[in-house]
Amino acid sequence: MNKTLEKRSMGLRASRAISNTIIYIILVIMSIVWLIPFICIVLQSFRVESTWQVGYVIPQKWGWDNYIALWNSDFKKWYLNTFIIALVVSVIQTFIVLCMSYTLSRFRFKMRNGLMRFMLILGMFPGMLTMIILYRVLKDLGLTQVNAVPGLILVYVASSGMGYYVSKGFFDTIPKTLDEAARVDGATRAQVLTKIILPLAKPIVIYTILTAFMAPWGDFVFARYVSFGTSAGMNVAVGMYGWLQLDQIGQRYTMFCAGGVVVAIPVTILFMCLQKYYVEGVTGGAVKG
Amino acid sequence: MASVKLTNVKKVYDNNVVAVHDFNLDIHDKEFVVFVGPSGCGKSTTLRMIAGLEDISGGTVEIDGEVVNDLQPKDRNIAMVFQNYALYPHMTVYDNIAFSLRLQKMPEDQIYEKVTNAADILGITEYLLRKPRALSGGQRQRVAIGRAMVRDSKVFLMDEPLSNLDAKLRNQMRAEIILLRQKLDTTFIYVTHDQTEAMTLADRIVIMKDGYIQQVGTPEQCFDMPTNLFVAEFIGAPKMNIMKTQLLRENGRYFVTPFGSKIEVTGEKGQMLAKKNVPAGEILLGVRPEHMVLADDKDAAAIPTTLEVNEMMGSELHLHVFTEDGTRLIVRVPTIGLESGERESLVRGKKINVTFEGKVMHFFDPETEENLLL
Amino acid sequence: MKRYSDLEFLKLSKGQKFLYKLTSFFASIPRAIGGIFLAIGRFFRDLGLGIAEEFSDIFTTFKEGDWKTRASFLVMGLGSMARGQVLRGLLFLLFEIVFIFYMVTTGGYWMSMLPSLGKIGPHDEYSAVLDAYTKVYGDNSFKILLYGVLTIFFIVAFVYTWRLNVKQNKIAQEHERQGKRLKSGADDLRSLVDEQFYKTLLALPLTGILIFTVMPIVFMILVAFTNYDGTHDGYNNALFSWQGLANFRTLLTWSGSGVNYSATFGEILTWTLIWAFFATFTNYFLGMFVAMMINKKGIRLKKLWRTILVMTIAIPQFISLLYVSKMFAKNGIVNGLLLNLGWINQAIDFWGSNAHSGLLPRIMVIVINIWIGIPYLMLIATGILMNIPADLYESSRIDGANAWQQYTKITLPYMLFITGPYLLTSFTSNMNNFNVIYLLTGGAPTNAAASGAAGSVGYTDLLITWLFKITTGAEAQYYLASVVGIMVFVVVAFISLVVYNVLPSIKNEEDFQ
Repeated sequence: MNKTLEKRSMGLRASRAISNTIIYIILVIMSIVWLIPFICIVLQSFRVESTWQVGYVIPQKWGWDNYIALWNSDFKKWYLNTFIIALVVSVIQTFIVLCMSYTLSRFRFKMRNGLMRFMLILGMFPGMLTMIILYRVLKDLGLTQVNAVPGLILVYVASSGMGYYVSKGFFDTIPKTLDEAARVDGATRAQVLTKIILPLAKPIVIYTILTAFMAPWGDFVFARYVSFGTSAGMNVAVGMYGWLQLDQIGQRYTMFCAGGVVVAIPVTILFMCLQKYYVEGVTGGAVKG
Repeated sequence: MASVKLTNVKKVYDNNVVAVHDFNLDIHDKEFVVFVGPSGCGKSTTLRMIAGLEDISGGTVEIDGEVVNDLQPKDRNIAMVFQNYALYPHMTVYDNIAFSLRLQKMPEDQIYEKVTNAADILGITEYLLRKPRALSGGQRQRVAIGRAMVRDSKVFLMDEPLSNLDAKLRNQMRAEIILLRQKLDTTFIYVTHDQTEAMTLADRIVIMKDGYIQQVGTPEQCFDMPTNLFVAEFIGAPKMNIMKTQLLRENGRYFVTPFGSKIEVTGEKGQMLAKKNVPAGEILLGVRPEHMVLADDKDAAAIPTTLEVNEMMGSELHLHVFTEDGTRLIVRVPTIGLESGERESLVRGKKINVTFEGKVMHFFDPETEENLLL
Repeated sequence: MKRYSDLEFLKLSKGQKFLYKLTSFFASIPRAIGGIFLAIGRFFRDLGLGIAEEFSDIFTTFKEGDWKTRASFLVMGLGSMARGQVLRGLLFLLFEIVFIFYMVTTGGYWMSMLPSLGKIGPHDEYSAVLDAYTKVYGDNSFKILLYGVLTIFFIVAFVYTWRLNVKQNKIAQEHERQGKRLKSGADDLRSLVDEQFYKTLLALPLTGILIFTVMPIVFMILVAFTNYDGTHDGYNNALFSWQGLANFRTLLTWSGSGVNYSATFGEILTWTLIWAFFATFTNYFLGMFVAMMINKKGIRLKKLWRTILVMTIAIPQFISLLYVSKMFAKNGIVNGLLLNLGWINQAIDFWGSNAHSGLLPRIMVIVINIWIGIPYLMLIATGILMNIPADLYESSRIDGANAWQQYTKITLPYMLFITGPYLLTSFTSNMNNFNVIYLLTGGAPTNAAASGAAGSVGYTDLLITWLFKITTGAEAQYYLASVVGIMVFVVVAFISLVVYNVLPSIKNEEDFQ
């Protein structure tokens, strides 16, 4: 082979190496930027010398004080509340979403298009608006403040049929001929769902459970309405939000960090284990619109 | 309009799998060469190395005398049609065909001229403003060809362009490619796994297997004188019947003895055996189905068989038979030669005798599977 | 306007093509608008015809009906029971009894009060026993409106069921005349897990949506036409009453009563749209960019980079947002570090800076939203990028496209087309992105110019956070919040409608599947 050729390919390789190096640098910087807040939270949760915000990251004195304070506060109650809500909601919501999306994917009934369009329009109203009345209704039913947990579960679950898009998109990708084959083999529609479709829909079922489980941990607005200042009815988000308000931040800032760690760890572990399904659901949802 | 020369071309993948071994081929200007072989034989890889889509691990590829190993695909002056057409889904047919010309910064009026001209030849003028999605398979295929046509490139590469079409459309497009070739008058390299396409289209066929070239030759050469058992079985449909048998040599004359019969090798084949002084012994005997005929049971050359399946093809019957030791053979019988009632009598389980002439045989070494006459 | 054939059109220059498309677009507008009116007209005509048909069908059913059918007009389900369809008949009858009972006991009261929303408010009444004036509570406007709406729902359901009952009788009578077997209760139940399985599946979700979404929305729309607020809560301090369009006038006219609401509304709406635009597209393009970097051939540890980003999705947003908001506080870590390093001598007020209509906080929320959003977009973009057929890139390489051209001519259009609907929903949900704004800034810094408006408006306030602020506090102006909510709906619906109709690409998304 002649020399000029070799030179040319060397040039190609060199430029590729340079561009890859730049990418590596960007990726490392990004990783740092993305992780730094979380590293800071963890470090500050172990800080003992002051509970106030400070201008440095690494604690001067380490200790479990903040976690112990957490254990002695209402945090336990909030955590339990959130956990119960997340658990119940994820089960019921998944059931409802699957009913809805399977039906809209597989049945062609008279009102189908009208129904889907109607829900699309409903979705354009800001959900915040309905909270006022839902709050009043829950209050009349006695499901606020101390009893906020069942109240919140009811509201979270009730409208979950609206979020059928992603799983409907998934069901649409399962060939209809499978349904038809099963029907020819003598299965009823209900059997088609339980025996054929659900086993195939495992990824989307897990995705739905996962997102339904994660949402209550972060819900803030409505939970705040419903608990209405009663600590026993708060979830972690509402409770810990209070710690960062002006009157409390001085004593509670490092406790907030510790609480954040305690909340984030189980959710993150669960999420990392089921990451595959989450990615599948998110990308599928975006493509199907 | 260019020659393509491949010298010791080799492709080794990162995981050390060798896809192509030592590929040597001279493709002349305006020649139509077809690479054919079963999937995984390296034919597409070779084509993609010529196109510049795969790095070349060793050896050189020359187009028109210039080594192009390190040239970008766009600098090699080639055009390519992909198996899945690779039409840009968001562009109209017109924009798809015009894409490469626009990248070359050709003035729009010239682009218009070229695109409408190509569309006219391919009969897709009325679809120019449509998106690929709105076209049928055959129409998409034409757009893909049109896109390659307007580039006026030296070499036209086609990677299994017909394999996504149904059988009827495939036959039609095959005929159109022959016409297209006459109009374009350029060098074609065409990859397919379908031997019929290879036979009908090619000036020369390159038959590949496991990364090695098995035979390079005109369709006639490949059909009449396959270099080895693989080529013999690959070319021709239904495939060649192979029988394990003894080659006898008596007074300078050669005989074969399949399944208890005795048939003399005559004609050119007999002379070649003698000329090469092939020793007697065990061989693999090949006879194409169309060369087998039905025989009387008294004939010494008759092979007794039992009919298993009778495939009615219209102009001919394909009789699948098996001999006493279970060897399966296929016999092609023209329906026109059958007496009335004979066709109906050919049912499963019927005992029939088959034979063949002495001049239609192929001989292969049972060990190396090479053609004994070459 | 001149119409071109395909070939003539293709001959035009780029500018002419654009002009032609533009003019044909504008030329089609009158027709489209006409079409909308035509569709509305047709809807009402069909509705009228449909109702007329229903009435005539009801009439003929009665005229030709036997005694069973006729009796069912008054006592629902009687005909079904008489024909042996006991289960159906009982359900009809039960529904009628419940309905009548409800209307007689309470429904009638709510309906009669609905036009006035209550006649007697809380007032002081002389009590002879105590010899003093004590407060006596009267009607409850809130309940009247709420149960009035529910009662209307119930009446509609009853009318529908009654009609169904009549129709059932007609069909059953016809079947009887022809000697066909009628469906038994067991048949009905069986069909609910088979042909009519969808009814079973939808029953629960739709009931939930009806009660917890539709009903509150209807209620809140109605509230926009009342004066329901903290001082007119309908029971404890005063009744509220219908106000017609007065609240809309307050929000939309330039000279309100002392407060210029329309200016405030316009300002917040503008920022909401700017925010939604940047929040959507910065994330979109940067996320795609990150995905392409990670997916690039020759980059190692792909999984690690992806995992680092994805991990941040798992952490509940209220933790990360609240924490980041405190990091950038005046006495937070960032300022502390910068001060310690000596790069600044005075803490930067990231969230409170009022300069240039709160430009700094506005930029900050957009930047931090990028930090929140990139991992999602990276995931989505990765999925789509991997689905782009490789031969498109190979083909374009042969056609002579360089890396940049491949990006602009293939990757980007492909991504845009395939994610068109996603972009739209992401834009509208960013308009309503309560969490990011509320947890980061709470709407701060305060917009002094809008101080007269309800709910202390800040520069980073979106319509949705403003709405929230309006409804909190003792002076909560629920009616105004409702009007704002309706306006949000109008804006979102308008954008969606325009995007769906103007951009043909979004309709043709199947091109890629």
